[in-house]
Amino acid sequence: MIKLDRRNFLKGAGAGSATCALATMLPGSLAALEKEPLKAVGKEVASICEMCSTRCPISARVVDGKNVFISGNKEAKSFGGKVCARGGAGHSLLYDPQRIVNPLKRVGERGEGKWAEISWDEAYEMMSTNLNRIKREHGPEAVAFSSKKGSLSGHFFHLAKAFGSPNTFTHGSLCPGAYVIAAKSMFGTKLKRDLGNSKYIINFGHNIYEGINMSETRGMMKAQSERGAKLVVFEPRFSVVADKADEWHAVRPGTDVAVALALCHVLITDKLYDQAFVERYVVGFDAFAAEVKAYTPEWAEGITDVKAKDIRRIAYELAAAAPHAVVDFGHRATFTTEEFDMRRAIFAANVLIGNIERKGGLYLGKKAKTYNKLAGETVAPKLAKPGVEGMPKPTAKRIDQMDKQYTMVWKNGGVYQSILAATLEAKPYQLRGWVMSRTNPMQTMTDRAKVLEALKKMEFVAVCDVYISETAAYADLILPESTYLERDEEIADKSGKNPAYYVRQRVVETIGNTKPSWQIFKEVGDALGLSKFYPWENMETLQLAQMNRDGKALRHIREKGYVSYGKPLMLREPSMVAKFIDTYANARTPDDDGTYASALKFKTPSGKIELSSAAVEAFAPGRGVIQYRDAPLKRADELYFIQGKVAVHTNGATHNVPILANLMADNAVWIHPVTAGRLGINHGDAIRLTSSVGSETSYAMVTPGIRQDTVFAYMGFGSKNKELIRASGKGLHCGNLLPDSTAPVVGMNLHTTGVKVEKV
Amino acid sequence: MNKRYVMVHDENKCIGCQACNVACRSENGTPEGVTRLQVRVEGPFGDAPNLHFKYHRVSCQQCEDAPCVKVCPTGAAYVGEDGIVTIKEDKCVGCMYCVAACPYKVRFVNPETKATDKCNFCKDTRLARGELPACVTVCPTDALTFGDANEPDSEVAKLLNTKPSYQDKTHLGTKPRVYRIPTKRGGIES
Repeated sequence: MIKLDRRNFLKGAGAGSATCALATMLPGSLAALEKEPLKAVGKEVASICEMCSTRCPISARVVDGKNVFISGNKEAKSFGGKVCARGGAGHSLLYDPQRIVNPLKRVGERGEGKWAEISWDEAYEMMSTNLNRIKREHGPEAVAFSSKKGSLSGHFFHLAKAFGSPNTFTHGSLCPGAYVIAAKSMFGTKLKRDLGNSKYIINFGHNIYEGINMSETRGMMKAQSERGAKLVVFEPRFSVVADKADEWHAVRPGTDVAVALALCHVLITDKLYDQAFVERYVVGFDAFAAEVKAYTPEWAEGITDVKAKDIRRIAYELAAAAPHAVVDFGHRATFTTEEFDMRRAIFAANVLIGNIERKGGLYLGKKAKTYNKLAGETVAPKLAKPGVEGMPKPTAKRIDQMDKQYTMVWKNGGVYQSILAATLEAKPYQLRGWVMSRTNPMQTMTDRAKVLEALKKMEFVAVCDVYISETAAYADLILPESTYLERDEEIADKSGKNPAYYVRQRVVETIGNTKPSWQIFKEVGDALGLSKFYPWENMETLQLAQMNRDGKALRHIREKGYVSYGKPLMLREPSMVAKFIDTYANARTPDDDGTYASALKFKTPSGKIELSSAAVEAFAPGRGVIQYRDAPLKRADELYFIQGKVAVHTNGATHNVPILANLMADNAVWIHPVTAGRLGINHGDAIRLTSSVGSETSYAMVTPGIRQDTVFAYMGFGSKNKELIRASGKGLHCGNLLPDSTAPVVGMNLHTTGVKVEKV
Repeated sequence: MNKRYVMVHDENKCIGCQACNVACRSENGTPEGVTRLQVRVEGPFGDAPNLHFKYHRVSCQQCEDAPCVKVCPTGAAYVGEDGIVTIKEDKCVGCMYCVAACPYKVRFVNPETKATDKCNFCKDTRLARGELPACVTVCPTDALTFGDANEPDSEVAKLLNTKPSYQDKTHLGTKPRVYRIPTKRGGIES
């Protein structure tokens, strides 16, 4: 819970003024520059947020040369012109005196906090000397490139490819990767949720009222408040989404998969499932049905602490609301190492109620190509991909490629944490260099001590960021990126039920000596002697190339910031198909039932939904059919340690942003009154949590909103580097308690463990 | 006064995300250490599993009978023609009588202007431009509604006529113009 009062605010103010003195001593920071008024680029600029990875469309206006007032871009209907606390705080990042606005070179030991300002030329010289030396002596594969997946990661990975390293990683395996891999194994593609039209929503701790994803948060609230949708939440903690639910079940941590499987059991055994849908679109049903026969609600009750009669009733309610119902497949994982079957079991429940391409269910994104084909005309322009000829093919295998079970992960961001074994144990071969862009593994990867050891063992570490993040603190070189409010970027595809594009645009002129990362990595490419792989000059030429040199269409997108084309379409929804046909004279002829059901194809080997998968069985024997496996998370004398998101911060990124740090600087540990009493802990007491890998201290928040066998903390706090003055040493660091453990098939980092709790 | 501006906070729709708080700071340039608006997430109350949070908007209540105005010795705290209680900075002598008199504890001395400060429904900034207050503009779940309750067709009038609402500390006779639609445990009232 967020309790804000005047006293806390004043406390925050005191800390703030104390840090200013220190901040001015930090070379390369904004504080070192003379404060000048913000120079607005336009009156009101439509752009894209970057305070988290959801990237909502925004509209920004400079206030009195001091602030930027940010709201949502009203052109994007499902976002409602709204913005969350993080999105509203963009100017606080922009003008944070501790933001880095000049390239920095390490001058002390790694992590010692001694930095010297250098020029961009010197920075590029350092990059080329070190990277080309490693390449010459050990091959390009000895350098790993990792980045937050997002707008500019494409440019960063382009550099990796031009350099010749196959070792590129996104934050996928540390955060949302599991549902993507599960969806691709079953549907051949990612799926989207139509929460706004749902009549019945089952949610396994996907807390979109705290981890805000604007269109989905609004969609679910609309379904609940305007359309009377029922929301059932299974979560060990009483979160905001649990509070807003009609039913909250405090499921035992990590056992959600048993609930999902028992739901499937009831749907199949009691013949509540959509047999026609399964018949037409699904392969592998029989093997799945045979497997779930044993997963009765009574069986699940023993594992999950959710009553069998509730599971059975919920399955019936779900079936009654079908197909306008959904079982939410979640976002940030990983509850257990059985993440693959957890997410697959959830998707299976959706398949059984036949909600694919139905209102309130799940659907496939409709980009211009698909949409235009159905319409029989060009409704939306297709985005061109300016290709580069003669890109080198890496000769070495990826470091995560030795274990075949991760086959699906290689092309979907990779197993990020495999950098640890490759660096520390030369498994499968030695990594020597690590280049990062806007990623903070010291916060987001598990087993912090190990990540630290790996960073220290590297021969060269370069980090592109806006702050000296906990990871950047251990770099040899820091490349300061401009904030999103100072950057122009490529047109991005935001298609949902119909095609849509949007674009990030500069709101203010660049402060200090920063550059957008696309430019940084292009110039690094030049320094490395790879100029021939960069045929574009600047962002404008790239945008024009994307739009096939159609300047008018580009201007339209730039002016609106977000452009949506056509009408929403779900292939199996008769009313939407009818409207679509009315609109487009040459539209595809509907099927006899008035839908486009016959157009629904899946990019799987069979072309159907693979409830059981021969392809998975081939690269991960025993994993073809979804099944329950016990996944022990703690010893008997330990408590479960779980984490989650809070609405005012983004995982490893925003904890030093002044406005947000003032709102919430640390993370108390939620502990049940009975457990606290047993351990002699009172509300507000300092407590220590000790796991198999580390020990962290924070303070207790005694609350009935948590299971007795579980403790909870919001993620992303407890930074340990001295440069992040507002965040350093405040609260507990989740990554320092979680062991380095990787889930089969999906390659996810484990986010639950056992801890002992004591008063200090 | 023919206008009666009111704010309605639907505690069913509020998720305590602080988007309002941050937007308010950005629009009004509220300095660090003080705040015009926050939503306190209080609780959970009740016995598990029947728990609930309270989403408590803490900001100036825009009382129709405002104690801060009554105690102000210089006329700095005043009621405008639009009925909005606000502050003339140059008249404020920093005596803090109003801070003490406010039963809702939402007035503070602005460390930059040295005058007392508080929410004025964005009167000088957004309302002056014909826009909605910052908090209403950004609220992700549409939990806030603002408008003239004397206008029968306004959204706020319709809302207050159709939904149960309450105000804080009405027994003091302050007639606050921030209305709250209470949380209904077990789902969101439609």
